Amino acid sequence: MPKLIIDNLPVEVAPGTTVLEAARSVGITIPHFCYHPALALASACRLCAVKMLDGPVKGIQMSCSLPAQDGMVVSTTDPEALKMRALVIEWLMINHPHDCPVCDEGGECLLQDFTIAGGHSRRRYQGDKRTHRNQYLGEHIYHEMNRCIQCYRCVRFYQDYAGGTDFGVTGSAGRVYFGRFEDGPLESPFSGNLVDICPTGVFTDKTGRFRARYWDYQFAPSVCQHCSVGCNLAPQVFQREVIKIVGRRNDQVNSWFICDRARFDKKGINDPSRPRAPRVDGEATDYEAALDALAARIYDFVEVHGPESLAFVGSSRLSLEGCLMLGELVANFDAASLSFYGDPAEAKGSQLATELLSGENVAAPADLASADCIVLLSVDLMNEGPMLAPFIRKAWLGGTKVYRIADPALLSGQQLPFDCIEAATLAEVPLEQASRAIVVCHATRTPREELSDVAATGARLAMLQPGPNGFGAALVAREHGARPFDELLAARKVRGIVAFESDLPVANLKGITVLGCADWQATELSQKAGVFLPTTTWMESTGTSINFEGRAQRFERAFRPGYPLKGLDAKYYAQSRYGEPAPGQPKTPPPQPPRIPRGEIPGGQEIEAWKAMARLLEKLGGELIVEPLTGSWQPLRDIDPEAGGERIFSLFKSSEPDTL
Amino acid sequence: MEQVLFRHNRPGRVVTFKEYCDEGGFNALRKAISEMTPNEVQQAVIDSGLRGRGGAGFSTGRKWSFVPRDLPGPRWLICNCDEMEPGTYKDRVLLEHNPYSLIEGVTLACYALGVRHAFIFIRRGYEKAANNLAQGLIEAKEAGLLGKRILASEFSVDIDLHLSAGRYICGEETALINALEGKRPNPRSKPPFPATKGLWGGPTVVNNVETLANVPAIIAKGPGWFKGLARNAEGAGMKLFCVSGAVKNRVCVELPTGTTLREIIDGPCGGMKPGTKFKACIPGGASTQFLTPEHLDVPMDYDTVAKVGSRLGSGAIIVFEEGCCLVAATLNLITFFARESCGWCTPCREGLPFVKEVLTRIEAGAGEERDIEILREHVKYLNYTFCALAPGAMAPLDGLLRHFEAELREHIVQRKCPFK
Amino acid sequence: MIPEQLKKTLEARVAHAFSAREAAVDVMKDLQFHYGWLTDEAVGEAAEILGLSRLQVEELATFYEMIYRRPVGNKMIHICDSISCWNAGYEKILDHLKARLGVEVGGTTADGQFTLVPCCCMGRCGDGPLISIGSTIYDNLTPELVDQALELERLSGSAAPEHQGQA
Repeated sequence: MPKLIIDNLPVEVAPGTTVLEAARSVGITIPHFCYHPALALASACRLCAVKMLDGPVKGIQMSCSLPAQDGMVVSTTDPEALKMRALVIEWLMINHPHDCPVCDEGGECLLQDFTIAGGHSRRRYQGDKRTHRNQYLGEHIYHEMNRCIQCYRCVRFYQDYAGGTDFGVTGSAGRVYFGRFEDGPLESPFSGNLVDICPTGVFTDKTGRFRARYWDYQFAPSVCQHCSVGCNLAPQVFQREVIKIVGRRNDQVNSWFICDRARFDKKGINDPSRPRAPRVDGEATDYEAALDALAARIYDFVEVHGPESLAFVGSSRLSLEGCLMLGELVANFDAASLSFYGDPAEAKGSQLATELLSGENVAAPADLASADCIVLLSVDLMNEGPMLAPFIRKAWLGGTKVYRIADPALLSGQQLPFDCIEAATLAEVPLEQASRAIVVCHATRTPREELSDVAATGARLAMLQPGPNGFGAALVAREHGARPFDELLAARKVRGIVAFESDLPVANLKGITVLGCADWQATELSQKAGVFLPTTTWMESTGTSINFEGRAQRFERAFRPGYPLKGLDAKYYAQSRYGEPAPGQPKTPPPQPPRIPRGEIPGGQEIEAWKAMARLLEKLGGELIVEPLTGSWQPLRDIDPEAGGERIFSLFKSSEPDTL
Repeated sequence: MEQVLFRHNRPGRVVTFKEYCDEGGFNALRKAISEMTPNEVQQAVIDSGLRGRGGAGFSTGRKWSFVPRDLPGPRWLICNCDEMEPGTYKDRVLLEHNPYSLIEGVTLACYALGVRHAFIFIRRGYEKAANNLAQGLIEAKEAGLLGKRILASEFSVDIDLHLSAGRYICGEETALINALEGKRPNPRSKPPFPATKGLWGGPTVVNNVETLANVPAIIAKGPGWFKGLARNAEGAGMKLFCVSGAVKNRVCVELPTGTTLREIIDGPCGGMKPGTKFKACIPGGASTQFLTPEHLDVPMDYDTVAKVGSRLGSGAIIVFEEGCCLVAATLNLITFFARESCGWCTPCREGLPFVKEVLTRIEAGAGEERDIEILREHVKYLNYTFCALAPGAMAPLDGLLRHFEAELREHIVQRKCPFK
Repeated sequence: MIPEQLKKTLEARVAHAFSAREAAVDVMKDLQFHYGWLTDEAVGEAAEILGLSRLQVEELATFYEMIYRRPVGNKMIHICDSISCWNAGYEKILDHLKARLGVEVGGTTADGQFTLVPCCCMGRCGDGPLISIGSTIYDNLTPELVDQALELERLSGSAAPEHQGQA
């Protein structure tokens, strides 16, 4: 463990830690541009200069590429180091435009920060500024090359980390250019990370430019709900509109990055036709009245048909709190049914995962990077868990072989950022020769027998789930004896349902009454429901979801629900940025709310699904539950949303996972 | 005078394979394979005192000794013939007269290092040298001196030529490795040094043409003989000096290391151009500092030249006469370096154009007093770059500030170039 | 489109290499020889032969000074502007060339015959000032010799575009 002194502070760090990281560990930030913890060392910007006063090396050194060693005495404030850093800024500002007031990066720009910090304010260079032509990079990212400070972060991310091949660096000397061969949309499904990783404003988020400044945003730590990987992210919200979404660090799950779907798909949340008002038989009403109506209808229904005809339906996109509350609702009726999945394959597979996986045999996304053999088993990786791909790529670059047992129906045509060896069956893969093998599969598609074969080899499993909280839903389903909805249909007992954030196809519901439906989307089911209760999206909610590896992660409410204050601009609406209007909805977005004094947010009646359930339960004669995480779930109350989440396996020590 | 590298030269044409062999060519290879272990070859090169002729002047044998011999996978040797340092043309002259010494030298180095496959990386525009080498490789192969089981021994080597498409930075050894791998020729971060992790991740030695071409004579005649060729105690062997600028005959000659500048200029160069007087020279290619008349008697060897604040570099001597504006000369050099920056690190990419802008203004009569401070800052802080290009570029500027500050100030005071 | 034979030659070159990328410069040079400059089409063909994307070929093509990504004249005129040639008075030669050809540095003559670019250095520092036209070197130049060289090159026609790789 090297011991060194940085600015008079004694520091002890793990071998291999750089001086820059060692300084950071004691709260000293050494300015830097090209250094990024997730990327290979570049040592290109030369901003992180420090002065080595004593030890094995002396004089000005770049702290990002200097391993900490015993006896080093480092000064980050030595006049010579300060001068070097000031010169680096001066050099960069020779060509960087003074366009901060009209730059969308303004306020969150590293160059801005370090220019101020370095004290550079007067231009000594008397020549012209270099200029470049920008490229059209698609509808997501705006390119402004003149701002480039050539830190090479973008190309190191795009090509090296994410495996893209259509974006890179051309030219040399003062004419290096970061772009594509020609204008056109970036092909990598991870391209949006260029926005986060660029230390200045070369790449800005086209979907949210010039809507607000960094300091205007409401932020909260959140978790992506597009797939079961559960990448950490943070929405940037201004006046109740999600303007941008940025990646949030979680070393085990997504490193620093998110996929483009996570970043740019804000459609549902910002959708102007999102149902905002509770409805009873199509008529808008207030929440209390709608809940009363639903409770009364359930009561009447049970009176007439008996509780065995009633089913409560959730889904794998319901939060863990929602799933647990749904269990409580069902428990209120003797013989009512509970269902989280329509498709029995999804239900069984999801269930299987909860039975088979343990802390020992499950693989986190980041584990893939150090695997020595990887199998893609009937999985559509780029749709079902795209953020696993960069980790697999990392292993592959290190020499790990990646095998693919492809299901022809799943070849999405998207390119994987690594090469695969095609195999027909698992038997062809030399799993037993590996000591850190990981099989990536999908819960819905992998039969139990095949998984037993995997287990026999000691390989770990990355078993993707059909929904963002599939694992959580399956655990609750197990606890409450839930059944796939198709099975309930086949048994012909169910005659009425109450659905919460469910995507059941309406076509299957012939002869079944949709008593109530709670959702934040305008689903088919919500159109058919007698009582409709609007719920909040995950960005407007605080809750928990459990990703495919059994990691419970907390997301926090970023903003209160309601119509965006500004109203949704017709121009953007016309461009379908937030999707086509739903059938029957007006072509123009809701107008800006009239400026009248009021105590409530217009269109802001939505509440979290589990709270809607809790209030319904109370109205049905149950007790009001204010904290759904009870019993064995109680420890999850304390999850820190910024601490990476917690594996849930320890919560269920009593119930040993099934042997395979 | 005894010639080592130029021994086989024929005026106006390339020596033939037969002529080279008749004069003892490839005997060193025979001797090494039949009588010496690879380690003994390396030791002989260490003992000879041979230092890298590309410019850095590091002990060649010691460089070889850094290569780990116990790692799995291939090791590589690359001959650096990317001779693009302005003023330098010695390797071209050598190869246009005789490709065989280099071929034999590369083969010997491969024997010492246990290398199966070597590359000769040739700059653009050296077609004649490349043709000679290509021809020579065929001849050597046919004679059983190259390829599989050389001279019926267990030792096999193949040599490939790589013809570059032209960039100064490719001469930097790690950039050269990237270029050879078909990547953008940016230099690589050191450590790891090529000796442990170079071409395709394998241990790699990169040596200059002149360096390797000296090896056969060292093996044939012994390290002591080679060392004794020098004129001074610290030096070793002969050195190719290629002279350009204001001398009567701009020649490339082979002289003992330690020969003084004055002897070179007055001897083979026939003195200064008629009617001119020596003002300054750059002793070792564009990235070395100016020497002045007071340095004319400095022995041209690595350490002695370093002692007076410059470098022997590649041995490319560029002579400037009285009346020649050294601000303009430095501006020319900086313009070159700014253009040849690879664009990787900030100080080089942006700092060199800054220096160029300042010097351009000074030369044009628009200089200001504070510009001198700007230049000084760059001389100091352009040392902290990713590779040696920018520090090399600062060497002539440093020399200008050190020896000719008065000339620089004259430009600023007179608001024009005093030589125009 | 390149002739089948050239394609086969290039594929053989790639097959001979330790890694496909190693052959990139050779492939680009040969394609440039075929087209006169490295056209977009050529970049596409190089990419296909090398198993790279077009952008990845572009990354290399734009680094090297002897790969031209813009149309050039039938013959390239390179004028060395290194310190040795500067000392030997290359500026006078450059001015003369510009006047004779009616182009600025980087320009191509109206008849498409010559493109004038500076370069450094040609490794013939004892023979400056010098230029190369196509693959022929003209050294120890005076304005008169420049005129002779241009005359000679004009007469030798436009059949052979410059190619550095065909050594």
